[in-house]
Amino acid sequence: MQDSPLSVLLSRLDFAWITTMHILYPPLTIGLAALLFLAEWHWVRSQNEAWYRLVRFFEKLFIVNFAAGVATGITMEMAFGILYGRFSAAAGPFFGQVLGYETITAFMYEAGFIGLMIFGWGKISRRMHLFATFNVALSSTLSAMWILDANSWMQTPAGVELKNGLFQVTDWGKALLNPDVWLGFPHMWLAAVELALGFVAAISAWYCLKFRHVALFQKTLKASILALVVVAPLQVYLGDGLGRVVADGQPAALAAMEGHYHTYNPDGSVNTGWHVIAWPNARGDGNAWAITIPHVLSLLEDHSWNGKVQGLDEFPADQRPPVLIPFYAFRVMAGAGAALVLLAFWGLYLALRGRLGAAQIARQRWFLRAVIAAGFLPYISIWCGWWVREICRQPWVVYGMMRTADGVSLMGIGQEIVWMVGYLGFELAVWGSVWYFLAKIIRTGPDLTSPVAEDGHQHLGALEPAPHDKHAAPSYVRPV
Amino acid sequence: MNEFTQVQDLVTFAWWIALDVAVLLYVVLDGADLGAGIFSLFVRAEHERGAIMSAMAGTWDANETWLVVAGGVLFGTFPLVYGSAFSYLMIPLMIALWGMITRAVALEFRHLAAARWQRFSDYAFGVSSLIVAFFGGLAVGAVLNGFPITHDPNAPGAYVGGALRCFTPFSIWTGVAAVIATTLSGVLFVRARFEKDEPIRQQAARWTSTAFWLALAVVAITVGLSAILFPWARGKWLGPHMWMWIVVLLVVVFAAWRMRLAARQDRDIAAILWLNIGIAVMALSMMATIYPWLIPNTWTIYDGASPAVSLFTFTLAMGGFIPVMLAYNAYQIWVFRARISALAAYH
Ligand code: HDD
Ligand code: HEM
Ligand code: HEM
Repeated sequence: MQDSPLSVLLSRLDFAWITTMHILYPPLTIGLAALLFLAEWHWVRSQNEAWYRLVRFFEKLFIVNFAAGVATGITMEMAFGILYGRFSAAAGPFFGQVLGYETITAFMYEAGFIGLMIFGWGKISRRMHLFATFNVALSSTLSAMWILDANSWMQTPAGVELKNGLFQVTDWGKALLNPDVWLGFPHMWLAAVELALGFVAAISAWYCLKFRHVALFQKTLKASILALVVVAPLQVYLGDGLGRVVADGQPAALAAMEGHYHTYNPDGSVNTGWHVIAWPNARGDGNAWAITIPHVLSLLEDHSWNGKVQGLDEFPADQRPPVLIPFYAFRVMAGAGAALVLLAFWGLYLALRGRLGAAQIARQRWFLRAVIAAGFLPYISIWCGWWVREICRQPWVVYGMMRTADGVSLMGIGQEIVWMVGYLGFELAVWGSVWYFLAKIIRTGPDLTSPVAEDGHQHLGALEPAPHDKHAAPSYVRPV
Repeated sequence: MNEFTQVQDLVTFAWWIALDVAVLLYVVLDGADLGAGIFSLFVRAEHERGAIMSAMAGTWDANETWLVVAGGVLFGTFPLVYGSAFSYLMIPLMIALWGMITRAVALEFRHLAAARWQRFSDYAFGVSSLIVAFFGGLAVGAVLNGFPITHDPNAPGAYVGGALRCFTPFSIWTGVAAVIATTLSGVLFVRARFEKDEPIRQQAARWTSTAFWLALAVVAITVGLSAILFPWARGKWLGPHMWMWIVVLLVVVFAAWRMRLAARQDRDIAAILWLNIGIAVMALSMMATIYPWLIPNTWTIYDGASPAVSLFTFTLAMGGFIPVMLAYNAYQIWVFRARISALAAYH
């Protein structure tokens, strides 16, 4: 029952499925919270009602996404112990501590302010509300930082030694500031911002395309496209840096990502070829076919013309990660990143020509369609990025130190199948309802008529406010 | 793992208290939400069910997050316990988690849904609250039973013993007990959150009495069962410090009596406070009974702890973060304290 390759594979798939579904939501929470803060700040300072309407509208979408993030996230916290009990016990002294800090400094922090942010309108003062939004943005960023720190340590474990099967922390500084986190976290955070920008831009473009509320959504469309002009290239730059971190810290992972099997060519010269596309052969020790450009690999990873890049043949067969998924997932992510850069520059060009103004924007039909399509790209990149990262670490759960097969809980296959079937159902149901309700909110459009929320009317003093008139509006109104 | 210094022992002990406080806060805060959910299964009027959900809309997430905090502290400080106990508890935890997913979605998306779906979502909300309470209680009972682990000097103890070992008559009983206790807590919550003359509040008031007597009986039976089943409990309770346990018992009875009194006089907040005092005292005495085990006959708190615990991080967390957390949680509960009417569901 225990420890068979099938049972290990199933726990990996079980975990992969729940993280894959969870990572759909947090990035939007992180990025959109930051954008909402900026927009609300703008409103508080300029008193321009348009920004208030926009904040309230995007906040509705935010809530739906946030709820799904919580619903799928609680499982994550428990899943390490359930599916990866032996890894959790062994790595706990570092890994568990970091996740523990996350729950204390980030989740609880976020949960405390999210209620105020969503339901506090009209109950607390405008400044207090702005402060709540700020804290939601900050706390979700903190949460990403801790999670990425824990995960980066699994990629480049530092500051620990294995004693009695337990990872003992010898140097907290080194472990927390492990080599991978320096770019891993900024890359993830920027991915979240890019995703939120893409999301806001796509929705705004949809309204412009339909000629609905054009004056309103022109503002968000133009602002987010111009922000992408900075963010999208920066993300490519960070991604390139991260690639070099992987080349340094996890050469086998890099080789798998690039489908790079042989360090040297048959004639003894350094193999510098970069495959645009390729297909591994049946034996798994080379490519059956590939389209290859010489020197590009060395340029990318080593920034030199003929630099040596270690191929998979330098690693024992039982330490080689799978190639196919990482190879293509990596290309999809990078391709999407490049497409977003192009889109941003197209937008910049239009903006410079004065075509993104409220009067002209709805006429840029093809641009608007492209923006809508591009709204999906960051989602796909984030999925692909994580698949690359996690699959390339195989067969290790802590790179070079602990094998995945030694980290899984000692479970029966039946248990793992029940888990999988259940989560397939629940996570798809959550995803489906998120789609459904986001679409519904978007179809309904922003609320332009309700009075603007006043400053709060809560008095401190009485624990039980006087019962009010039956016919008056309820004191507690759930915003829609 | 006997390289523990005295300071580390002390810090471990303090983290153990912190862990229990997080669990207790979860039980007290989310217990009321779960109980209100169970109660909502028996509420006829649709808008009243919606109002129950609105009543917790601003705070349920923070309440539930105490569970995540408890999990985080357990993982961070007692990773060996986390790693083995959670694989022991896989099935009940998994089902409870499905319940939490369903609950979160039903609660947050209800007001967006069309009328037909609202009824479905109400039902899902009630049933999932029931499931979370039952399987949560079952997990506690299963932990009291203890479980077998591997003893390999080169690896931390891992759970071995199959998926279904956690289901025993005792753990199923504690599941039932949890449902009854949370229902009491939920009924009191509904009373405190609604305008005094709302029909739903009157329905809740009618429930209080039954729920109260049931809960009292359930506690008595659970204590009796524990004394019979668990030598470690019997040994302590009937040992040389028996008088202490009798005092505890008297305090609990006193709190229960005050709660009942407050409920009859319609002092809702006081009733909730007395209930929670009773729960806290029982939880503390349970901790004292189990000590030094964290999981009876399986892990002591010192064996299960991480060797990396340090006074520094503990002070940082307890002195810095936790008080701040408590402060903004309290502020949040304060902001959302007003009584509501069933009309709230229309918005
Ligand atoms: C890039 C950021 C990021 C990543 C990679 C992950 N999460 Fe996450 N997670 C968040 C960022 C986040 C968040 C934005 O902070 C959320 C969304 C909603 C929320 O409350 O916090 C969240 C929700 C969330 C919750 C619910 C918190 C609550 O009740 O409020 C838990 C327990 C986790 N996550 C745990 C995990 C674990 C164990 C992960 C490892 C695979 C993980 N998340 C990946
Ligand atoms: C801090 C964040 C994360 C941590 C600590 C983490 C940890 C793990 C662990 C312990 C495993 C099982 C061992 C393994 O197969 O490698 C795993 C597998 C996996 N994770 Fe993550 N994960 C994190 C984030 C993510 C995210 C956000 C995603 C997806 C979007 C993801 C996707 C996967 C996949 C696809 C696998 C399966 C890899 C394989 O089986 O080949 N992970 N991860
Ligand atoms: C040309 C552009 C890009 C390059 C060169 C690039 C490169 C990389 C590399 C090398 C990794 C690490 C893989 C590993 O650790 O094994 C990675 C991971 C990741 N990428 Fe990208 N990336 C690019 C664009 C994007 C975009 C546009 C997004 C999302 C908007 C994104 C999201 C992610 C995520 C979420 C991860 C996993 C977390 C992490 O490693 O930080 N990437 N990327």
